[in-house]
Amino acid sequence: MTVRTYIKTMLLVGLVSLSIGGILLHTRIHPIKTNYSNLVPAISCILSILIVPTLFCFRKTIAYGYVLNGFLVIIGTVTMTHFSIAHWPNPATFQSIILTTLLADILILWGKFFIGKSIFDLEFFGYDANREKKGVTYRYPNMGWWFVHLAAVSIIYYIGFMLWR
Amino acid sequence: MNQFRWFTLNWWILHILAIAFFLYLGHSVHF
Repeated sequence: MTVRTYIKTMLLVGLVSLSIGGILLHTRIHPIKTNYSNLVPAISCILSILIVPTLFCFRKTIAYGYVLNGFLVIIGTVTMTHFSIAHWPNPATFQSIILTTLLADILILWGKFFIGKSIFDLEFFGYDANREKKGVTYRYPNMGWWFVHLAAVSIIYYIGFMLWR
Repeated sequence: MNQFRWFTLNWWILHILAIAFFLYLGHSVHF
């Protein structure tokens, strides 16, 4: 086994572990039967456990895995932020906002994003320690591109929530 | 159809579908 295969395997195991943890947590806290909106995390987690690692396994489909993984994280971020706002702590102190909203869960979810990004970057930009990182920040596949899409998805989701009732 | 036009068409179709999906998601999710 090469170091490349070993590191990729470890990262894939990390990705699947986080996703299994996510689906178990969601199933325990809010089962689908109580609210059909809970289908969103259920479907997202199943995609994260089965489809994303499969796409990451093959060089031809790794870009699709990267985009799907990123968008699942964006969906999770937007819906969990929505949930936090809907169950906003009362009284809203600094401590209660940090500890009783879903901020912790959103941060854990972004851990999954960066594992996916590491797999993609290691495959696409190589394992050369001395190679310089290049590319425009706001262009695919860099972080700025993701922030633009996070902002765009948030706005579109909000418009759907506010205007289409 | 050349490759650039094909990419542009795909780009628009993908973004329209994505916008429709996220609008529907915002509309249908209730907490």
